[in-house]
Amino acid sequence: MSDASVAALLRSAEPLVVIEAPAGCGKTFQGAAYAREASQALPQGRVLILTHTHGACGVFANRTRGLSSRVDIRTIDSLVIQVATVYRRALGLPDNLSTWAYQNDGEGFDIMAIKVAGYMERHPIVREALARRYPLVICDEHQDASPAQHRVIMALRAGGARLRIFGDPLQAIFVSGSKSNTAMAAALSRWEGLKAASAFDVLDHPHRWEKGSPELGRWVLDARADLKARRPISLVQSAAAGLIVLRATNVAQVRTAYQVCRDDRRPIDAAAAKEVMVLAASNDRVRGLSAFWDRRIPIWEGHTRSALADLVRTTREQSGQPVALAQSVLTFAGAIGVGFSPSSHGDRLVKEVREGCARPARGKPAHIQRIARHILDEPSHHGVAGALGELHDLIEAKADGFGDIKIVHRGELRDAIRLKAFTCPDEGFAEIARRRSHALPAPPSRSLSTIHKAKGLECDNAVLIAGDQDQFGDTDYARCKLYVALSRAKRRLTVVVSHDKPSPLFRLA
Amino acid sequence: MNLILGGGDVGKTTILDAVGLLLSASNAATISEADYWRRENTDEFSIEGIVSLPLSVDPNNFSVQLMPWDWNGADAVMPGDPQDGDVPEAKHPVYRLRVRGTADLELVWEIIQPDESTIALSAAFRKKIGLIRLSADDRNDRDLRLVFGSALDRLLADPAIKARIAKKVAEQDFSGAVGDAGVKALEALDQRLKAASLPSGVKLGLTSSQGLSIGALIGLLADRDGVALPMTSWGAGTRRMAALEIAASTQADNSVTVIDEVERGLEPYRLRQLIGILKSTFGQSFVTTHSPIAIQCSAHADLWYLDAAGAIGGLNREKIAPQQQRDPETFLAKLAVIAEGPTEIGFLRRLLRLAFKGDPLDCGVRVCNGQGNAQMLALLEAIGMTGLKFAALADDEGVQGGRWGVVKAAMGARLLRWEGGCTEEAVLRHLPEERLQEFLKDAEGGSNGERLRTLADRLGLEDKSLPAIEAKLVALKSSLRALIIEAATGKPDGSPEGKRNDWKAHGRAWFKSIAGGDELAGYALADDVWPKLEGSVLPLLNAILTSVDRPAVEHLNHV
Repeated sequence: MSDASVAALLRSAEPLVVIEAPAGCGKTFQGAAYAREASQALPQGRVLILTHTHGACGVFANRTRGLSSRVDIRTIDSLVIQVATVYRRALGLPDNLSTWAYQNDGEGFDIMAIKVAGYMERHPIVREALARRYPLVICDEHQDASPAQHRVIMALRAGGARLRIFGDPLQAIFVSGSKSNTAMAAALSRWEGLKAASAFDVLDHPHRWEKGSPELGRWVLDARADLKARRPISLVQSAAAGLIVLRATNVAQVRTAYQVCRDDRRPIDAAAAKEVMVLAASNDRVRGLSAFWDRRIPIWEGHTRSALADLVRTTREQSGQPVALAQSVLTFAGAIGVGFSPSSHGDRLVKEVREGCARPARGKPAHIQRIARHILDEPSHHGVAGALGELHDLIEAKADGFGDIKIVHRGELRDAIRLKAFTCPDEGFAEIARRRSHALPAPPSRSLSTIHKAKGLECDNAVLIAGDQDQFGDTDYARCKLYVALSRAKRRLTVVVSHDKPSPLFRLA
Repeated sequence: MNLILGGGDVGKTTILDAVGLLLSASNAATISEADYWRRENTDEFSIEGIVSLPLSVDPNNFSVQLMPWDWNGADAVMPGDPQDGDVPEAKHPVYRLRVRGTADLELVWEIIQPDESTIALSAAFRKKIGLIRLSADDRNDRDLRLVFGSALDRLLADPAIKARIAKKVAEQDFSGAVGDAGVKALEALDQRLKAASLPSGVKLGLTSSQGLSIGALIGLLADRDGVALPMTSWGAGTRRMAALEIAASTQADNSVTVIDEVERGLEPYRLRQLIGILKSTFGQSFVTTHSPIAIQCSAHADLWYLDAAGAIGGLNREKIAPQQQRDPETFLAKLAVIAEGPTEIGFLRRLLRLAFKGDPLDCGVRVCNGQGNAQMLALLEAIGMTGLKFAALADDEGVQGGRWGVVKAAMGARLLRWEGGCTEEAVLRHLPEERLQEFLKDAEGGSNGERLRTLADRLGLEDKSLPAIEAKLVALKSSLRALIIEAATGKPDGSPEGKRNDWKAHGRAWFKSIAGGDELAGYALADDVWPKLEGSVLPLLNAILTSVDRPAVEHLNHV
């Protein structure tokens, strides 16, 4: 049992402590308990808990309730943004940082992290001001830190902060370029280097499963050991109470869709009937599964809004250009739902905007004209938000030609419509991003999620669809992703594996 | 320690008020439109200060992270981006504090972050910085009472103390003092209240009206012949010293002290004592004074001079130190006229008396001793750097021409530097030959033996009689005028072995004294000399006159 030794090590005077923390082994409990205790003992300043996702912020917030004046929980991105914002003029960064950062798939965050890391390394007053406010920093999921984020954290240490780092190299699914073996290898060697330079210990008791299926917990730890050693995981017989293996082959013709035969389907439906988190390896698969259950299971959208960030950027750049704005509405609607395609609605919408809704129309074309008029009346983000609001109303009303459209990412559409209230789209986006960071939404009790978005969360029941060759190949990245998927459920884990093409990471015979 | 000097009504107290308002530990300060520039309250005013915070002041109470600026020695700047090349390491964290008077006559305190965004600067945080303020008015007993943020409040450092005192006071029973009739009246009132379903059970106790804190009524008492007297009723000087002692016993290094008229109520020995306390105990202090003693004993302080136009400039400590010690009053005049030595003092005083038709001191014009050519040059440079207004009269000793040129360019007509000589030469040069002998007579019309002696010495004569001197001059083919100038200026060239210092001292027998300067001015004003000097002297006199808002004169009425 390493719980006691880890607790003692955390409370020691060591400037740098690193704890390897497999999923569900009480990392959050240890971290939060230590944060509570340390926050009371600090003569001045606060404890900073640095996470990588807003979801993890929420978990820590629950565990440290009532201490908000002594414990700050934030993502490392938000810390970087904060420093970058204050010194943006020296760093040559734009004023609308939070919007800028989200552009081009969040590339701004990397640029910012590199600049801030260099700035903190160069200037003692910057790192010391931060370390003075945060004399103790607890880092969660450090394996997800980019090299620049790692430098920011080490600069805090140089500024005088004590560091307590939790991480699990087996959950490194957010490493940039993680799909390549070399990037993964680099991340692993960074972790080993950090271990060597610190006081180090490992958590090894599967607390998450204590009230659920302790046997499942031990099985997950064993599976982790297998993955770490690059051995296949045995699914031969029901190895543990709570672990269910279903065999079902995807027979869908379309690559992104998911379809199984009726007999195979019945047990899958049963497994997903009650409170459950259905996990899939990719966004495409999540959308396929959403169709599989006829959109009855809501998609957990997580906290990122890449489609909205793109929409904001194009509306800013194309303001005053109705046709380009109509295109951006089309792109956005395609990204957040199904059934609104160029051929079904989009081309007509663009045409109507181009021609200024000149010809009278009825039925579906008339509805499309209603959307187009918003953009024609106000060729700005106001018009775009109005058009999306109109689209939303038409779908709700099941209007002619809009009955088949399904909104998959409802939150994202809602946020886009809200842009209308702001005088400038960037300001609106920043405000929405800020609210989202602080509101800490939780997934619905029954939901569909990618493994990435489920990371850091836990649930009673999980179904992984599917443990197939095409979803989990023979790479370290796939191993990490698989381990994250396997370690979410506390009571019952259902793994669906195809008859003919199971993942090489499993041993079924 | 910063000593702020300058004439009356130039804004010294305003500077202290600004510092005081910026760091005020209470939000209670009120402003009126008279506090705004030209009473235009639609134009906001703002007071900004750059401070470094000692470690004991914890900036973590802000909900927003406070980020520092870097102090580059002159201003708060943002550290450079290392991606732009080799930027200096930022090592001196400072913060920008600001108080704004808004168009709505409200005061807003804030901290300016490096991105110009602002964070509210709370009174509690300002209290931690610890401003000690001794103002010049007589209500200067705040720090001796338990008012929020006062020195006494900080000394006791117990936020609940006022509540406890109030409770204790409220528990006092005054019924004994009321008397029977009063008690009956209260009982009757109580019945009526009860009947009307109003709060009942009334008794007398201490209550306060809104806005009046019990803390304002609680203060230090001290023993005087067995009677406890409020400290606030002691003399002004004692109150100020006591307030400083209270402050000194709480915080060592992180306070800012603001003292208006530091000499107020203090004898010279206590003034020296107080400046000693300030020097040894306190962080940073801003002090105004009208006392030469205070200036003299503040050798460690930075002197700032506020001129009549309201411009402030720092004085170079090393260059002004000798003047600060010998003639501290130089820095207290409305316009100081630096004269190179006693001759120039006497000379200028006489001319200025005529120009001002009275004592120039009445107009704040003080003629000060510049302590010789080299020191005077340093002093003028120190003052000139600040752009402050001074006037000066100097000799041309043929050295440091370049530096003098810079000073002259800055001072213009306010500096008269005799061309190619000294005051004595400038006057004697123009005196008709036949009048030279007047110098050799004393007040009673007899011979001035002392002066004749210096002439004879220079000619190597035992006999100091005028005929002997004249005879020798004829033999040497030299003139009496040249000889007098050499003696009057104490020129040592050609002196025999061991007599150099004696020759140098010859000047004292002539004009090297204030009285001598005065005498010299008399010759200068003579009808046959003045027209030749007027062109160079009058501009100086007029520059002095106009500097203190007196009209310039076309001619000096010297009759």
